[in-house]
Amino acid sequence: MATKEIIMSTTKLNKSFGVTHAVINLDITIEKGDIMGLVGENGAGKSTLIKILGGEYYLDSGQITYQNKIISWNSSAEALKKGIAIVHQHPLLVFSLNAAENIFLGKEFTQGIFLDEKKSIEESKKLVKQYPIYPELDLEKPVIEMSAGEKEVVEILKALSYNPKILILDEPTASLPKDEAESLLKLLVDLNRKKEMTMIYISHKLEETFEICNKITVMRNGENIGMLTNEHFDKNKLVKMMINQDISEFYPEKSSQIGKVLLEANHINSKVLKDVSIHVHEGEIVGLYGLIGAGMTELVESIYGLQPFQSGEIIFNQKKILHPHVDMMVHHGIYLIPADRHQYGLFPSFSVSENITIAHLFSLFPEFLLTRYKENQVATKEAEQMNLKYADINQSIKELSGGNQQKVIVARWLLKECNVLIVDDPTVGIDIGAKRDIYRILRELNSHHKGIIFISSEINEIIGMADRIYTMRRGIITAELPKDEINQENILKNIL
Amino acid sequence: MANNNGILKILKNRELLVMAFLLIIFFSITSNRFLSPSNISNVLMNISVSGILALGLALVMINGDFDLSFGSALGLLNLFILMFVDKGWNVWVMFALAIVGGILWGMLNAILVVQIKIHAFVATIATWTMCRGFIYWINGGKTFYGKYPDFMTIIGRGTVFGYIPISSIIFIGAAIIVFLLANRSKFGRYIYAVGSNADAAEYVGINSKRIRFTSYLLQGLLIGLSTVILSSKLTSGPATAGDGFQMTVIASAFLGATVFKPGLVNIGGSILGILLLSIIENGLIMLGVPFYFKYIVQGLIIIGAVSFISLKNKRSEGPAIL
Ligand SMILES: Nc1ncnc2c1ncn2[C@@H]1O[C@H](COP(=O)(O)OP(=O)(O)O)[C@@H](O)[C@H]1O
Ligand SMILES: [Mg+2]
Repeated sequence: MATKEIIMSTTKLNKSFGVTHAVINLDITIEKGDIMGLVGENGAGKSTLIKILGGEYYLDSGQITYQNKIISWNSSAEALKKGIAIVHQHPLLVFSLNAAENIFLGKEFTQGIFLDEKKSIEESKKLVKQYPIYPELDLEKPVIEMSAGEKEVVEILKALSYNPKILILDEPTASLPKDEAESLLKLLVDLNRKKEMTMIYISHKLEETFEICNKITVMRNGENIGMLTNEHFDKNKLVKMMINQDISEFYPEKSSQIGKVLLEANHINSKVLKDVSIHVHEGEIVGLYGLIGAGMTELVESIYGLQPFQSGEIIFNQKKILHPHVDMMVHHGIYLIPADRHQYGLFPSFSVSENITIAHLFSLFPEFLLTRYKENQVATKEAEQMNLKYADINQSIKELSGGNQQKVIVARWLLKECNVLIVDDPTVGIDIGAKRDIYRILRELNSHHKGIIFISSEINEIIGMADRIYTMRRGIITAELPKDEINQENILKNIL
Repeated sequence: MANNNGILKILKNRELLVMAFLLIIFFSITSNRFLSPSNISNVLMNISVSGILALGLALVMINGDFDLSFGSALGLLNLFILMFVDKGWNVWVMFALAIVGGILWGMLNAILVVQIKIHAFVATIATWTMCRGFIYWINGGKTFYGKYPDFMTIIGRGTVFGYIPISSIIFIGAAIIVFLLANRSKFGRYIYAVGSNADAAEYVGINSKRIRFTSYLLQGLLIGLSTVILSSKLTSGPATAGDGFQMTVIASAFLGATVFKPGLVNIGGSILGILLLSIIENGLIMLGVPFYFKYIVQGLIIIGAVSFISLKNKRSEGPAIL
């Protein structure tokens, strides 16, 4: 590849907030036409860095070179005018206005003293033609009626309306459903190819950055840890750079004190399951792994009493549970955390506190009336233990990030004595920090002699976490792998 | 500035209170009869019947269910009380039986909606129509007049200390109990949980069917209770009895969903909603506005409130109540 023109570079950038050094001696180089990924754990300093580049924060020390000139922005408006546009982590749209009005917010067209709405529609049409990232967008639709993906497109169009030379995107897909995220990625790649738009792309979804970036810079604790170019993209290496640990150390140490059998399911037969038997010991994480539809979710939901089965028995602590039902299971301290937290886990109209206490209301409040004070006290204590990031225990659960929402669901069960925790793919779509917190919590339960049944859709995760694995295929258990036989080959052999 | 924010914070999600207050001032200025003791006690008595109905409807709607049949159930139970009192049955026994009848009515709706899983709108439109049919069948479309002992009117028309209607005391009692039940009890938390995400409720061991069923039973009990007040006040059985309350009560639920917990039907909101709607209704009459304007105003209020809720829910991508 011929050397490309360097469009922007920084030397020894520093930025502190009080005692927090958010950005430390940071050097980066961006070449024209790059899509540079910027990854790192929450709090690594990514957002701060791009806000410095976009003139929203003053830097404490260091130098920014842009188009061969040393610059120091006086305001974000100046940076914007010179071609640096940011699509923020949290969209800054006015919900009551339509797309066109939002795009030209702050630079409205006027006719005399009146707003010229026709002109703003016309101009946004031109913009869409110039950047056909999503031609179907209805420019006259109020933002409030738009899907999360459409809002993101408006935000991007708004940035593009300034004709930027560098487009910076801060976690644009974080709140998008999968299909909308995918089409957004396609739009970005298109924009890069056809218009040679240079981009900085922040995301905690590593697969996305592999897909669209030609290089990835890793930040950790405010520092630039290094850069990988696309021929060297490697998830393990990247994660290691992000967390400063080997991927093997990414998962906590496996259990060393496995005790007696806690829970067993024997010869379960149902519509999906054929003569399935599994058990879990004290202090053990037992993994269930198979392709989608192989029956893992059906199995744990049958155990939990949510799905009927024709024959088979569930035995807890040597005693048969006669009519397995959620109530009964919860009574025995056997809990299930479902795979889809939005559909089966969260109560969207509840606060953080109410979402934490809902599963154990009766044991928390034996008296007739609930008291908010006591409820918040219990919830706060549990939230702290989970390392939950939240502003106010009474804030809406919808305001938390995916990882923190998942921690709330875990916290909900751990309020009371837990004997067996069943987790169904608990780390889907959550950031690395939250993942590690959840792994840590599961292992802590183990050290208190609790048993865990762990379903994962990620083979590395199941290898990293499970002490023993059952592989499944089409409703049957195909193998039981003890600790020393857990490896990729053995697993794949038994699920395909 | 800080002071300002404080006031705004207190007013936040309490827009209805402010509106009710402003309307009371408006009507007191424009009509000199509005604040007269007799008018106040008249409004209060009306609120007792519709208010208790509103409590019941709110309980059902928090779950995500609905009921359109309570108005005609009220009419049928009213007739039932008066006919048997006319035959010489004990008034108190009949009052108790009316409450049992209300619970049975709730059970009928619950079986259709919760067990047989007919959409709440469809099921309760059917029970509504059937019920109205029974009323016409029983008294041939005419108003029923019968004998009754004088003391029967004590609940509907009686007052203590001269001005405070006994029916209002019953309503306030019911309002406090239902409010505590919904907002401070475990059962109440569960009905909100089922309304918020019925699937998630099952995963934490809440039997959502049982919760919805129980809500309908409680609503039935409240329908029975409001019938007791109504028949004690009316002592006659018009074929259309209960119709007039239907829209006011439904409107109160939607209006109430714009305050306290915006986007969600809630007890406090419903109580405020029914207060406000009753004041408007009475105020319009006091101003000499033709009675049919009441329906136009109610319609507009429902549209306005539901638009607000729907926009609100879209913004927060929360659950829609309809
Ligand atoms: N405006 C601010 N005031 C104080 N601290 C801040 C501010 N913005 C960010 N920080 C802190 O700086 C660090 C880096 O944050 P941020 O740049 O948002 O990280 P990232 O975007 O990588 O998650 C964090 O410790 C954060 O708490
Ligand atoms: Mg950030």
